[in-house]
Amino acid sequence: MEQIKAEIKKTRKFKDFEYYESRKQNEYYLLPFRFHRITEQKEVFVNEVGDFLIVPSGTAEKVITRKLNPEIEKELYADLIANFFISEARIPPLIDITAVRYRTKKSFLDGFTALHIFVISLRCEHTCHYCQVSRVTTNKTAFDMSRKHIDKGIEYMMMSPSVNLTMEFQGGEALLAFENIQYAIEKANMLAPKLNKNMTYVICTNLALLNEEILNYCKTENILISASLDGPAFIHNANRHRPGNNSYELTIEGIEKCRASIGEDKVSALLTTTTLSLDYPTEIVDEYFNKNFKSIFLRPISPYGFAKHNGKKNGYLTDRFLTFYKTALNRIIKYNIEGHFFREEYATIILKKILSPFPVGFVDLQSPAGMINKVIVFNYDGKVYASDEARMLAENHDYTFCLGNLDENTYHDIFFNENVSHISDVMVNEALAGCSECAFQSYCGADPVFHYATQGDMYGNRADSLFCRKNMEIIRYLLELMDNNKSIEKIFYNWINY
Amino acid sequence: MKTEINDQELSIYIDKSLYNTDVLYKCFYWYSTDYAIDITDDSEKHHLVKIKPVDKNSTESLITKVKKDLIDFKLRDIVTKETKTIRELMIAKAFAYYDSDETPASDISDPVGFDPENMQE
Repeated sequence: MEQIKAEIKKTRKFKDFEYYESRKQNEYYLLPFRFHRITEQKEVFVNEVGDFLIVPSGTAEKVITRKLNPEIEKELYADLIANFFISEARIPPLIDITAVRYRTKKSFLDGFTALHIFVISLRCEHTCHYCQVSRVTTNKTAFDMSRKHIDKGIEYMMMSPSVNLTMEFQGGEALLAFENIQYAIEKANMLAPKLNKNMTYVICTNLALLNEEILNYCKTENILISASLDGPAFIHNANRHRPGNNSYELTIEGIEKCRASIGEDKVSALLTTTTLSLDYPTEIVDEYFNKNFKSIFLRPISPYGFAKHNGKKNGYLTDRFLTFYKTALNRIIKYNIEGHFFREEYATIILKKILSPFPVGFVDLQSPAGMINKVIVFNYDGKVYASDEARMLAENHDYTFCLGNLDENTYHDIFFNENVSHISDVMVNEALAGCSECAFQSYCGADPVFHYATQGDMYGNRADSLFCRKNMEIIRYLLELMDNNKSIEKIFYNWINY
Repeated sequence: MKTEINDQELSIYIDKSLYNTDVLYKCFYWYSTDYAIDITDDSEKHHLVKIKPVDKNSTESLITKVKKDLIDFKLRDIVTKETKTIRELMIAKAFAYYDSDETPASDISDPVGFDPENMQE
């Protein structure tokens, strides 16, 4: 009888509690994860697919040195198991799920180059003090993209494996070459259906030259408008000089006209952060909020204008930017707490990486880097660059990231040449010193052009990297905010689900 | 851990049985902006790490930071090495057999007769 009872017990579906309680405290296996101290009291664990867990300081040591007692710290133990930081089996039963999630996180690579920037003209009627590329001239031949180059650029764009293509017209002031924009869009529209491509068109403009003809065309062709707005008039006009000193007034008028004619959701504004902006975070946020924008993109201060300054000054400006960013972000959060939807775009990009299983198509925060893989620049003179920042370098006669020329090179020559192969070596943060064991690796990216511009070396030194200092602090701050205040976490979830 | 300070240069004698050179290089990589770092072999039992501030930072407060960072980087090193195989396995699984078959390689059995072609009037 006793033997039968024992047999029955053995075949029971669920094992007795004793079975689990008798497990030894060090009977678990570590899974790949990284950790970082986010405050004196807290540290964060991040696994290979970006799941995170904020725990008290000292937990990493306890877990890694097998001092964690599953019987005493049941909740922590369960969290670690459930979030794939540790496993009770040498090969976790759900490894295939993790592999699929890893693949999903890297799925931005599937389509290859999607964003094609056409620098349609280098001419501009503004003389912004931070702009290194534009020319005030009427010489169209020298500074407008030729029809031959437009044709070739479109031909190569259509050769991209990506089904969804974005054709973005930049300048100088793109609207100075409006006839060429029309020509390019008509040409692309003709080819796209035959090649099964879905086109999105974007014009980046200061809106000063906007007229009825342009508005009607943008409406007909469903073109998105990316305008520039640096904040209230006293900042915008100080940054963006033009005859009459009325850039702000023309921008606001243009934004209103675009909203009324093309649609609210077809117009966005982009902030260029300058040293002047750094003193006015609240005023800038309020300006965007009061002008009925649903978001603001607090873009990091560009290093390309001051790259030649000394490292100390660059570091000082990055620290000032971080203070500016946090003050502005807190102001934005305040609006949300008051019941308004108003989000910060840079935080939203990072939060999507932290809180969702999906990748984000933002070229500056990807690994492998977004340059070439996601974006390519066809310059007004036919030269092809790995990113917009790469063409900024070229304007200072540095052609390190020039991939070829539309006159001479084939698609294959441009996208798969030795220079691309050389740049690719430093495009993966999983394999960069300083990044390989960084907890924020899956939320961050690699930026060879930035490191080349600021450190003279595209591999970059993370200890002295402004890219690293900026992103690590912003990511740390976002995690700290979510940990300290659950209503902010809810706001952040709202931002990424919009 | 034995430490000495001479003329603003901090010397730390680190037990080889506790910290391998991988950990030392990963840890002191992050000091390289503000400090001149020199990692040498002191004896059979100890590494010697000399740290000198590039500017006038105090070396006194450094000792606590170094000790804390050494532990963090050793822990990271343990995770990296201990999970190397499982990480490679996971990434291999993520990207292996990427091309999905358009048509199944083998015949589909239809024992219940759901396939319209197999249905009988």
